[in-house]
Formats: sequence, structure tokens, C-alpha cells
Amino acid sequence: MTQHLTRWARAGAVLAAMIVAASAFAQTTPKNSQGSLLPKDSVDAATFRGGLVFANYCVTCHGMNADGNGRAARLYNPKPANLRMSDKNDAYFGLIVRRGGAAMGRSEFMPSWEAELTNEQITDLVAYLRSINAAKN
Amino acid sequence: MMRAPTSFSHLTWVLPCAALIAVGAAWAAQEHVVAQKNKSFSVKKLTIKAGDSVKFVNEDSFAHNVFSLSAAKSFDLGSFGNGGNKTITFDKPGKVEVECAVHPDMRMDIEVTP
Repeated sequence: MTQHLTRWARAGAVLAAMIVAASAFAQTTPKNSQGSLLPKDSVDAATFRGGLVFANYCVTCHGMNADGNGRAARLYNPKPANLRMSDKNDAYFGLIVRRGGAAMGRSEFMPSWEAELTNEQITDLVAYLRSINAAKN
Repeated sequence: MMRAPTSFSHLTWVLPCAALIAVGAAWAAQEHVVAQKNKSFSVKKLTIKAGDSVKFVNEDSFAHNVFSLSAAKSFDLGSFGNGGNKTITFDKPGKVEVECAVHPDMRMDIEVTP
């Protein structure tokens, strides 16, 4: 039963991320007279895709709001990073996602995602993280 | 004839009994092996007894993780690559839902019986 709830929660997270990304896209992307589609290589498209990656792989620890309060956060001390307030740059985000926490001197429980995510997914994820980051860099 | 001190005479039977109990407990507790292959656990449901352990063996070419947030047992064994393994003992009865943090669809249940 809990498994089903978890799956529904994850599906909900994906849907919510899609809605957030879609609404952000709708607000920020000017439409030309022909109503053209979002260019695949645009920042907005990367942010949208990155939100889906985040919702599928990262929410368990970092949480829906990327504030480090995922459902698994209680297992860890220190807690998973609050990605909204992170002062790290994009290169650092990319590295820690690829190599995992231990290789970066951070939590050993942050896995390396290099074998699971494509380069494009990691780039998209970094774009999403940048889009939600509220720290002053 | 002198009698051995009482504490010593107790030791002569207490120690072997304790050893027997320990050996019995160790003999009774089993280690179960669950493989991680093709992004799934080799079994979807496993029933074990309290005190048993489960060894998770990664047979995929990429890293896996094993964690659970269940009330009966919350843990994270971390990530480990091909050929790696981690073992954990389940002390309390209850249902334990096991997941892989790297592959969200990888799940299995462990029913720990008294």
C-alpha cells in the first residue's frame, strides 16, 4: 500500500514539476506569430527537462522544493543540501551530480549519477537547479 | 578435599551454556542473498526471521544503492558498484520496503517474522 502511495507521490511530483516548468515556460517564453515550439537547445527547454529529471531522481532526498527535506532526509546527518540556497556554481553542480558526494568531499550518501543520467540530462538538471536557486552568487 | 570457589564452579557450566546459546543463535540466524540485476531486485518479496541478515549483491555493471524508510528498519547502505555487496541484519519483526535511490523503480519487500 505504501509502495503504491510512494509511486503516486512520485507521479505527482513529476506532474507538479511539469506544471511548474510549463507555467514558467509560458510566462517567460515569447511566442512568435506562428506559435512555434520551444527550441530544444533553449535554456527554458533545458530547465523544463531538468525539472523532470529532478522529480524522478532527486526528490527522495532533496525534496519536492529542493530544500533538502525529501522523505529520506531523516536518514542523514548532515541533511541533504538545500539546493535553493546553494552558493555553488553550475560547474560544481555538474561535478557533484556526476561524481557523487564522496568524491567532492561531501556526503557519501549522494550517489554518482554518471552511469544513470546522460550528459544532456545532467546539463538539464543543472539548468533546473540554477532556475530555482535563490542564493546570491 | 578443597572445594573450588563458588564463582569458579559457576563458570564451569555458565560459560559453556552461554557459548552454546551463542552458537545456537548464530546457527539459527540465516543470511539471505538478494541480487541486484537488470535494475531490479532478484526477488520482489522475501520472508525472513528476526535476527536474519540479507546480503545485497550488485550484479549490474553500474552502481546501486539500498535504503529503506520503513518503521521496522530505516537504513541506507550507500552506493556500491559491480560485484560490491552490503549486508544488513533485521532485528525487529515488521514489513520493510527496500528501495534503490539511484533507480526509483527498484523496490522489494522484506517481511520480518518473529
